[in-house]
Amino acid sequence: MRELNIYRPIKAELIKVIDESPLIKTFVLVPEQEISFKTGQFIEVTVENVGEAPFTPSSSPLETKQLEVTVMKAGYVTEEMHKMVPGQYMGIRGPYGRGYPLEEFYGKEVLILGGGCGFAPIRSLLYNLKAISDRLRKVTLCYGSKTPEDCIYKPYISELRATPKFEVLRSVDKADASWQEKVGVVTLLLDDVKVDVGNSVAVVCGPPIMMKYGTFKLLDMGYPEDKIYLSMEKNMSCGFGKCGHCAMGHYFVCKDGPVFSYNEVKNSPNIWM
Amino acid sequence: MKVFCLPWNTWLEFLRDILKEYQLIAPLVRDGYADFGEITAANCDRIKYAGNTTTTPLKAFFFPIKENVIRNREKSKRVLLGVPNCDLAALELLDSIYLGGDFEDHFYKESRENTVIFGKDCDDIKDSCHCVSYGLNPYSEKNGDISMSYMEGCVYLSPMSAKGETFLAKFDLSPSEILEALPEQVVLNRDSIATQLNAQTKDVPDEKASRICIEKENHELWRKHASTCVSCGACSFICPTCHCFLLLDRKGFEKVKNWDACQLPGFSRVAAGEDPLAKLSERLKFRYLCKFSYKPDMFHALACTGCGRCIDACIGKINKNEVITQAFQQG
Repeated sequence: MRELNIYRPIKAELIKVIDESPLIKTFVLVPEQEISFKTGQFIEVTVENVGEAPFTPSSSPLETKQLEVTVMKAGYVTEEMHKMVPGQYMGIRGPYGRGYPLEEFYGKEVLILGGGCGFAPIRSLLYNLKAISDRLRKVTLCYGSKTPEDCIYKPYISELRATPKFEVLRSVDKADASWQEKVGVVTLLLDDVKVDVGNSVAVVCGPPIMMKYGTFKLLDMGYPEDKIYLSMEKNMSCGFGKCGHCAMGHYFVCKDGPVFSYNEVKNSPNIWM
Repeated sequence: MKVFCLPWNTWLEFLRDILKEYQLIAPLVRDGYADFGEITAANCDRIKYAGNTTTTPLKAFFFPIKENVIRNREKSKRVLLGVPNCDLAALELLDSIYLGGDFEDHFYKESRENTVIFGKDCDDIKDSCHCVSYGLNPYSEKNGDISMSYMEGCVYLSPMSAKGETFLAKFDLSPSEILEALPEQVVLNRDSIATQLNAQTKDVPDEKASRICIEKENHELWRKHASTCVSCGACSFICPTCHCFLLLDRKGFEKVKNWDACQLPGFSRVAAGEDPLAKLSERLKFRYLCKFSYKPDMFHALACTGCGRCIDACIGKINKNEVITQAFQQG
């Protein structure tokens, strides 16, 4: 039975903390009740007596006993999260909102453009796409970060590169001597991608500026507006369309999104903030 | 339509009967202002039945300023008397938000269910009253449970909902008469107030015209009016339809639902610091768009009911009707 009180979080034990980069950690959580989500949906994570913030799980939606959130230290809630150690508890509410419309991806190539911590929701999506890869033609990930040190999920990247139908291109804004891949903004990777645009969908998730120029470049490449899916970031508080914080024009991002096609939001105000 | 006519003494007895079982809340005059207060046998002769709006909007009874939404609370049965139609009309939007969608707010729902609302006829208007601009009347017709009118030593009660009907049936009302319709004089009084309001608001654009002119790019207009805004959020807090809140976290994973306002800095700021409403003029414009464009589209209900409280409360003297009228005149 669903909890009657929509505000009450489920307690979840932190069982592992993975350092992904100097500013990003992944928290592995085991909720006291199983939580199943669709990839792209988000949850609200509570740090007791501190605050609550929305995250899209970065783990596979097929795994319901535990879930992972990958968190960049960016505000007071995330700062407290970064201090937490295994054995402590967080709270989880959700899942909320509308995830990626996977059935729209069937039979198509999927081009994914991600930046920074925007890789978190994308990793969850990639796990799901791998599970349905017999129904997809190809999956290409273009991922950008500031420096090689800021690249997250390094072991997973190697795993993906060894997976049939999956291709990974990476770029960093500023390279060091060890970097063998692209240098420059992530949208430059799109120049190297071989994709059948007419039979493809695109997914964009990352910082607002990257989302903006990434979307414009995809439009230039010929992607129709309704085949570009954006995962919008707003400061959802309640998660279910009551508190008003994530208002974006005629939408509440928490319940109408967070995944929108560009076509749905192109006339909304402040979509790139 | 069934109208129960209660002579004044019978009405007072009815109030005493209500008090045996319900918490009774009605407007009282304090320091020259009418505001809701708890009624007891000792002060029930001081209820201000008519007048116009109270300082506190009706929403505060279903959506309190601060509410712990984890702890269970006592369920008290409540009667609210003397609610103006601008506040009743606001319930349409609040109900759609809090009770609609996939997630029902059971704190709001319980409060709504445990409360019987008596609407009133406004018999007085303030300069900022403008319900008629948005197709509402200064007397109750729906959204409450019982409509109440007062004239010459008699109270006229008429159920507006099934809940109101059941409530009245529970009591031995002993009406002196049961009428088919309100007495003509009550209707004339209502019309007279509506006429005064229409005259006072003849230049105020209706909700559709307001929407059209607000949706136009007009940076100068918003900059000009925002220049006296101090981001206090009063316009949102006293608005009967503003529903925004922030969940605050407490020990034991408890949460407190706390009123919040889009006019306060940081309302829409995300962790990394981006804030689409960082500028005051953007926030002011957002408020008007929310009222006349976003909410009507999303919930098919009025998000401004013309109560005028935001005009009265603004310490920067921003008059909502002047803002919209200027936008309208600029075409």
